Amino acid sequence: MLFKISISGIKARWRDYIVLFSGMIMASAIFYMFEAIALNKKFVTSTTVGQSAKVVFSLGSILLIIITLVYILYANNFLMSMRKHDYGLFMMLGAKSSKIGTLINLETLTVGLFSTLIGVVAGIGLTKVISNMLVTALDIPVKYFQAVYNPAIWSTLILFMILFIVAGLMNARSFTKTAALKLLNSESKTDWKQPRTKRLIGQAALGVIFLAMGYYSLDHIQQLKGLSILIGLVTIVCGTYFIFNSFFVILLERLQQSVLNKRGINSFTIAQLKFRIHDYTKILSIVSLLFSLALGAITVGIGLQNGLPETANAKSAYVIATTNPSSKMAELIAKTHGKNENNYQQKVTKKAVYYRLSEFSRQPIEYPTFVSNGNPQGNLQIKKSRLGQLGNSHSQPYQQLRTLQNVNLKTHQIKFVSDQVFSKVSGEINHLKLIRVKDLNGQSASLKAIFDLQKRELGSKVVQSMGESLILYEFVKNIFSSMEFMGVFLGIAFLAMLASCLMFKILSGIDRDKTRFEMLNKIGTSQRSLKRSIMLQIMGLFGLPAALGLINVGFGLQMFVKASLLHHAYQAFAYSSIGFLALYLVYYVITVLIYQKVVVPKAQNER
Amino acid sequence: MTKEIIKIQDLHKVYDQHSEKPYEALKGVSFQVDEGEFVGIMGASGSGKSTLLNILATLDRPTSGNVQIDGNDVTQFTSNEMANFRSNKLGFIFQSFNLLETLNVFENIVLPLSLQNTNHRIAQQKVRQIANKLGLENLLTNYPTQLSGGQKQRVAAARALVSDPSIIFGDEPTGALDSTNARDLLDMLQQINSQGVSILLVTHDPFSASFCKRILFIKDGKIGDELKATGKTRNEFYQEILEKLGTFEQ
Ligand SMILES: Nc1ncnc2c1ncn2[C@@H]1O[C@H](COP(=O)(O)OP(=O)(O)OP(=O)(O)O)[C@@H](O)[C@H]1O
Ligand SMILES: [Mg+2]
Repeated sequence: MLFKISISGIKARWRDYIVLFSGMIMASAIFYMFEAIALNKKFVTSTTVGQSAKVVFSLGSILLIIITLVYILYANNFLMSMRKHDYGLFMMLGAKSSKIGTLINLETLTVGLFSTLIGVVAGIGLTKVISNMLVTALDIPVKYFQAVYNPAIWSTLILFMILFIVAGLMNARSFTKTAALKLLNSESKTDWKQPRTKRLIGQAALGVIFLAMGYYSLDHIQQLKGLSILIGLVTIVCGTYFIFNSFFVILLERLQQSVLNKRGINSFTIAQLKFRIHDYTKILSIVSLLFSLALGAITVGIGLQNGLPETANAKSAYVIATTNPSSKMAELIAKTHGKNENNYQQKVTKKAVYYRLSEFSRQPIEYPTFVSNGNPQGNLQIKKSRLGQLGNSHSQPYQQLRTLQNVNLKTHQIKFVSDQVFSKVSGEINHLKLIRVKDLNGQSASLKAIFDLQKRELGSKVVQSMGESLILYEFVKNIFSSMEFMGVFLGIAFLAMLASCLMFKILSGIDRDKTRFEMLNKIGTSQRSLKRSIMLQIMGLFGLPAALGLINVGFGLQMFVKASLLHHAYQAFAYSSIGFLALYLVYYVITVLIYQKVVVPKAQNER
Repeated sequence: MTKEIIKIQDLHKVYDQHSEKPYEALKGVSFQVDEGEFVGIMGASGSGKSTLLNILATLDRPTSGNVQIDGNDVTQFTSNEMANFRSNKLGFIFQSFNLLETLNVFENIVLPLSLQNTNHRIAQQKVRQIANKLGLENLLTNYPTQLSGGQKQRVAAARALVSDPSIIFGDEPTGALDSTNARDLLDMLQQINSQGVSILLVTHDPFSASFCKRILFIKDGKIGDELKATGKTRNEFYQEILEKLGTFEQ
C-alpha cells in the first residue's frame, strides 16, 4: 500500500520527475558512451597512441565517475525535496523509520534502475550518432567503434546501481535522522543568517589571494614543475569557495544600497539572490570548478589540433616529397589548394645525386629552424637556404634535401652543378617535387588521400622512413584527434551534468519560492516583473560561476602555453567558449522556463 | 476510579539550548487528563501550546520532565516505539489539515491503517464507516484540491479517527475554518468524546474552548489556571471563559 502511495506521489508530480528522469538518463547515457570508447580495447589501441591513450581514458573515466556521483547526489536531493512533506506526514502518522527508509531506498532504486536502463539504450543510439558525426565533422579516424558493447553496458549498469544504492542509503539516513516535525515544516524554514561584515571582507580578500596564488603558480609551471598543478588545484578550489561564500554577497549588498534596489521588485530579486548564493556556496563552487575543467578540456582538445601544423613543420618545411609522381598522384596534388611547389631535376649515379644549382637559386629550398626570441624553447621559423649552405653536407638545408629524396638515396652524396655539367652526367632525369601547404588543417582531407596513395605506391614501410612532414602530420593527428575527441566529449558531458546539477538545485527550491511569488502576486506585482525577476535571479546563479570559470580557464591555459603544449591557445579558447556558452545558455533558458511555469501564478483571465 | 490517560510532571522545554540565546518555552508544566475527558488548553500566542502538544504527540522531546500517556513513559520511547504509539494510540488534527495532495480522500483516510498493515478489506470497511459518520461518503474519490476548507478538516479528522485512537490531539483544528464549519467539527468532536475517546484541544478561540469539559490556561510556559464546565450550559461556560480571559490575559 505504501508503495502504491509512493507511486501515486510520483504520478502526481510527473512533470518534476520527468526533469529528474531526463537528467539521470542523460548521465547514464553519457557514461555509457564514454565507456563504450574507453573499454573498447580494439578502438583504444588502434589509435596509434596505444597504451598512453588507455591511461588517458581511464583518467577520464575516473573524472566522469566523480562528477556522476556528485550529479546523482544532487539529483537525489531534488527527488527528496519533493518528498519531504509526504514522508514527514507518514512519520507523523506513525510510520516506522525503517519503513520510511525502505520506501526511500525503493523509490530511489526504482527511479535509478529505470533511468539507467533507458539511459543505456539512449547511450547506444547516441554513440552511433555521435561517432558518425565526429568522424565526418572533426575528420577523426574513429575506427572499430562499436555502438553496442557489452562490457560498457555492464559497467554502466553496475556503477549506476551502486551509486543509486549509496544515494538511497544516504537519503534514508538523513531522513530518518530528521524529526518528523522538521520535515513537515521544512517548507517554511530558511537557514539564512546575516553574516558579519568583517568576516565577509576577510573571506573575500582570502578568496582573491588564493586565486591569485593559483594563477601565479600555473603561470610558472616551468619553474615549479608538477608542484604548480598541485598548488593551483588546492588554491583555486579554496579561492573559488571563498569567493562564492563572501565576495558576491558583498557585491550584492552594495547593490542593495544603490538606487537600483529601489526600482520595481529589484529589492526582492537582489535579496533572493543574496540568500541563494549563501545557500548555494557549495554547488556554485562545484559548478564553477567543473565549468573550468570542462571548458579547459575542450579548449586543450581543440588547441592541440590547432598546433598540429607547427608540430609537423618542425620536422620538415615540406609536407609532401615525391619523385616522379604518378599521374594519380599529380592529380591529387593538383587538387590541393594553397600550396607552394618546388620542382628540381635530378640525376642519379652510383654514388651521387646531381642537381642543377640554377634551380636552387631560382627556388631556394626552405627548412625549419628554431630561433630563440627570448623563449628558451625557441620559436619555429621557416627559412630560405642560401646557395653557400648547400655545399656543406652538415647544413640544415642539405640534410633536409637528403631526407626528402627517394629513401634509397640516403647514402648518396648530393652534388649541385652547373647546367652544362648536369647535362653531361649520364642517366635519366628524375623530377623531385617538394610541396608546402599553407593551411595544413584546411587541406587535411586531400593530404590524407595523398598519404594513402603513397602508402599504396611505395609500401607503408618506405613511407615511414620518408623525410616529408606528412607522415608526422598524420601520425600526430591520430593522437591529437583521440585527445580532442576525449576533450570535447568530456567537456560536453561535464557541461551537461554541471548545468543540470545547478538546474536541480535551483528547481529543488521551487516549493519555497512558490509561496513567495504567490504573495507578490497577491499584493499586485505584474506577471511581467515576476518573470523578469526569475530571469535575473537565475541569471545570477548561472552567470557568476560561469564568469569565474572563464577567468579560471583564461589563466589556467597559461600552464599549457608555458609548457609549449599548446599553440594559439587563446584562439581555441575563444571558439570553445562560444560553443560552450551557447550550450550553457540552453540550460539557463530551460531552467527559467520551468521555474516561471511553476512559480508564477496564472492570471485569472488566462484560463 | 477513572483511569488517567495523560500525566505530566514538571515538564520543561528549552529551545536552542546550546546556542547563545536559549529559550525556555515550557517552565515546569504539570497536569493530568482522565480517560474520556475533553480538555482544552488556552493561552496567548507564543505561550507554548504547540510545544506542549508536540511533546505529547512524541513529535518533539522534552528537555526534562515526565510524560505518561496511557501508562507509558513516552519520553523513554525508542523511535520505533514512538512510531507504533503514534499510529495505534494517537490521532492528530492540524490547523493546516496536512493532507497529501496527491492522494484522494479515501487514500488519505486509510493511510494510518496502511501503516499498520491492516487487512485491506477491514481497512476499507473502517474508512466507509468513519466517512459516513463525518458525511464524507460522496467525496471519497475527490482530491484535496477539490474540497472546501471544512471538508478538508473533516477528512483530516476522519484520518485521525480511523485507527480507533485512545486520544485525539487537535492543534487549532478550527483555526482555518469559518464559524459554521468550526461548529460542525466541534459538534463532531464532542460526539466522539461522548463515545469514550479522550480529546486534548489546543485553541485560543473561546468559542471552541466552550465545547470542552475542562480548560487549562497556560501562560509564560506554565499552567496558570483551570476552569470546569460541570453543571453549566455551553453558553454559561463560554461567558465564563471570556471573563477569565479578560482577567487572565493582562
Ligand atoms: N523550533 C523552535 N525553536 C526555537 N523557539 C521556538 C521553536 N518553536 C517554538 N519556539 C518558541 O517557543 C515559544 C512557544 O511556541 P509555541 O509554538 O508553543 O507557541 P503557541 O502557544 O503554540 O503559539 P500560537 O498560538 O501562536 O500557535 C514561542 O515563543 C516560540 O518563539
Ligand atoms: Mg501554536
